Amino acid sequence: MSRSGSDAGTLGLPWPTSASPAHQRMGPDASVLLVAMVLALLGLVMVFSASAVVAGNRFHDPLYFLKRQLAWLAFGFLLLHVASRLDYTVWRRMALPMVACSAMLLILVLVPSIGVAVKGARRWLRVGPLSVQPAEFVKLVVVVYLAAYLAKKEERVTEWIAGLLPPLIVSGLLGGLVLWQPDLGTAVVIGLVTMGLLFLGGARLRHLTGLVLSGLALLFALVRTSPYRWQRLMTFVDPWKDPTDAGFQMTQSFLAFGSGGLFGIGLGESKQKLFFLPEGHTDFMLALVGEELGLLGTAFVMVLFMILVFKGFQIAGRAREPFGRYLALGITLLLGLQVLINAGVVTGLLPTKGLTLPLMSYGGSSLLVSLVGIGILLSISRDRQGGRRAGGFASWVAAR
Amino acid sequence: MTVVDPLRVRRIVAALLLLAGFVIVLFRLFNLQVLQAGELTLKAERQHEKAITLQGGRGTIYDRRGKVLAINLEVPSVFGVPTSLEDPTPVARELGRVLHVRPDEIEKKLKQERSFVWIARKVDPEQGRRLQRRPLEGIGLVLEGRRYYPKGTLLSHVIGFAGMDGDGLEGIEHRYDSYLRGEKQMVVLQRDALGRSVFPKGFTEQGPSSGHSVTLTIDETIQYIAEKELEEAVAASRAKGGTIIVMEPRTGAVLAMALVPTFDPNSLGSLYADRWRNRAVTDVYEPGSTLKVLVAAAALEDKVMEPQTILFGERGSMTVANTVVHDHDPSGWMTFAQVLERSSNIGAVKTALALGPDRLSRVLRAFGFGERSEIDLPGEAAGLVRDSRSWGRRSLASIAMGQEIGVTAVQLATALSAVANGGWLMKPHVVAEIRDGKGKAVYQASPQVRRQPISEGTAQKLTRILEGAVSRGTGKSAAVSGYRVAGKTGTAQKVDPRTGTYSTTLFIGSFVGFVPAEDPRLCILVVIDEPQTEAWGGVVAAPVFRRVAEQVLPYLGVTSQAPVRVALAEGESIGVRRAGRAGP
Repeated sequence: MSRSGSDAGTLGLPWPTSASPAHQRMGPDASVLLVAMVLALLGLVMVFSASAVVAGNRFHDPLYFLKRQLAWLAFGFLLLHVASRLDYTVWRRMALPMVACSAMLLILVLVPSIGVAVKGARRWLRVGPLSVQPAEFVKLVVVVYLAAYLAKKEERVTEWIAGLLPPLIVSGLLGGLVLWQPDLGTAVVIGLVTMGLLFLGGARLRHLTGLVLSGLALLFALVRTSPYRWQRLMTFVDPWKDPTDAGFQMTQSFLAFGSGGLFGIGLGESKQKLFFLPEGHTDFMLALVGEELGLLGTAFVMVLFMILVFKGFQIAGRAREPFGRYLALGITLLLGLQVLINAGVVTGLLPTKGLTLPLMSYGGSSLLVSLVGIGILLSISRDRQGGRRAGGFASWVAAR
Repeated sequence: MTVVDPLRVRRIVAALLLLAGFVIVLFRLFNLQVLQAGELTLKAERQHEKAITLQGGRGTIYDRRGKVLAINLEVPSVFGVPTSLEDPTPVARELGRVLHVRPDEIEKKLKQERSFVWIARKVDPEQGRRLQRRPLEGIGLVLEGRRYYPKGTLLSHVIGFAGMDGDGLEGIEHRYDSYLRGEKQMVVLQRDALGRSVFPKGFTEQGPSSGHSVTLTIDETIQYIAEKELEEAVAASRAKGGTIIVMEPRTGAVLAMALVPTFDPNSLGSLYADRWRNRAVTDVYEPGSTLKVLVAAAALEDKVMEPQTILFGERGSMTVANTVVHDHDPSGWMTFAQVLERSSNIGAVKTALALGPDRLSRVLRAFGFGERSEIDLPGEAAGLVRDSRSWGRRSLASIAMGQEIGVTAVQLATALSAVANGGWLMKPHVVAEIRDGKGKAVYQASPQVRRQPISEGTAQKLTRILEGAVSRGTGKSAAVSGYRVAGKTGTAQKVDPRTGTYSTTLFIGSFVGFVPAEDPRLCILVVIDEPQTEAWGGVVAAPVFRRVAEQVLPYLGVTSQAPVRVALAEGESIGVRRAGRAGP
């Protein structure tokens, strides 16, 4: 009992009863992981349902897309695991190199002999048997960079030249390169996430209003000068006017949602996917969910994404460091905005943009970025602020 | 600390904005999927009705020399657009006259409240031309592919056939359907200025692209020879049917696969549906004495027997496990080689008993019995080899004589090919090559070894014994002058379906062998099912082997290797002895 005097927390017992807080490791937020997994697996099922007929015809293998998506999913969850175990502060050090790297990739993709052009847009880089879409990764890079910037220069963000200009230049540069491909959808997401993070980082509303207005003016100019974008916008205004051409996808999406009704017509039963909804496994996946699984299915998906967004803000609010907070906010914004834009497009609330539904749509790059983002969120969630560390009844009692 | 963190307020604002976005989307979904559901469903249904599926032409099937075995003909199909017709009666009358269909039936179709209806599919090209010359209001034509088999009944069991909608239903047409079938294209009919449904502009020029072409390993000439000889033999023996497989021993490529009775894939009657089955792969039979070859292979491989080993023939009668085994041709002492030459049941039974169940079943399974050969034809049976743990002495005796074991013709031909090629069990195949619409090869068959059931030495010893079985034994009538033939006859009693016991009147006579024995180019299996005149394989099947080999060997340019036999009266034994010395 000679040691008991030195150990203040021991209640006269031969072993210490107070553990040091430093040794308490928090597990990552399991609900975020669960929600992400459910969405990804549902996406896998829908990819198969949507693509089996097309793949069977085109590649003599109904499992063509399923196999690839499954491989990407496995790889993505591996990266998710790694990212969730990694101390997220490493991303701060990698922010600038990553910006430089993605700028280079975005330039490479524009080079005709390197970038692969599909339907008039150069978006893919071929690496051996794989095709990757640098623009998808750029979205995450922008978030990491902005989080690092805001964490370091938190005080100066209210200023114009010394505070707001540098991140605007970086975002503008990367967004501009993405726009060059052209990929307006991704560029818009980058712009929105930048605005959102600057708003959350404490930029003056006056500055932000000015930026948003000039952004809108730029957007309008871009749409007005490009015939196909203008046509898309007009189609959005009245999709039924020309249901055989530009409005085709739009009206077909409506028909898919409508014929699904409340409970859907059954998994794999979609008639729209055979011909009318050729993008059923990518951008228009939600419409296919609507047709096959009904409002029940689409609401389920939307609620899951809502939980993800809510959890994201919660994790950000509890993060111990500013960098973690902004990183979590940025990833949440990225996921949430893209889901909203995608869902808005397929339900006809927004004009047509080529954006995938995160975690669910077919496509390796998009899936990897979403899963890595979730992994980083998990890593931040492990590192919570003191008082709210332990949940449950015991800590609630202890707090009284 | 009651000071409100302004950044926290901003976070809450942002979160609420995002969540508000989700709520808007949910409202929109509710609007689309519940409030507008009825209206949208109706629109979708109307649209699906206006969509029709068209299929590109099916790919061509060729024999190994590029001769066409199955081809697609473009023939017109007639459709109507009822909603654009004011008075269908005269149109129906006119159509009925051209198409030779009752007008009231057409009228009934044209009176439906639909915007698209097929009137007659794949009609005579001449009828199509007449309709094209004098177009009728609300009636259209579109070209569709109809399958045509220019050689009629030739190779019908292997090729199979495709149905009206261009889907392969049997044979190669079925097995390689995903390659042969043309691209499926869904076309949404558009409305022209008069509100009629029409095909989209430029459609007829483009159309869906056609399927891949398939080249078989089958040689049309060899197939013709095999079918002709088989038909004659079946007719002469008044048999129920028969099968011939001609295989290339070194590669496992099937050169011919003939079945009688045949059918004509151009005019299928549902009456003969059971004739469509390719019995060479789908049906299992008891091989009888031909299986002794493989029992002997097991014995030689395991050194239980050597060709010179002496066995006692029990003077034609032996009791095993309370059943009496007889020999057709009673013997006293004989060599192991003579067991096969004379097709001695007693000798085979003694060999099997000496081997025991484990070793015998291991070799039989190694030769591919009891498992699918994985030939690229549909509906293959695995055959029946019972678990060797349940083999008693009686079963061993039965199996030695080729009973209590079920094989397919393809399995037996493949196993004998393995004996012929030095012990390598190949994967049998009938497709040599698949090319896409642009002529680019997407698949090329290469010989695939499944395993090596016996050593090369064993295969050589066995070949020499089988040569004896043809030159001196039961298979004499399979001998081809000028070539060394190795083979074995088989006569199996069939199980009478009424009594469940072996019938004394229903037999399967067969012969399986390869030629030339020193460098086998052909492995030929002949099976005659229920011959009425003579049951013996040596009488009904062996001569068919000879007639097929006699014609195919020169056709393939295989030169005679044994001139000594022609020159000398005692030539046969000299030739065989000389070959014996050449061995190890």
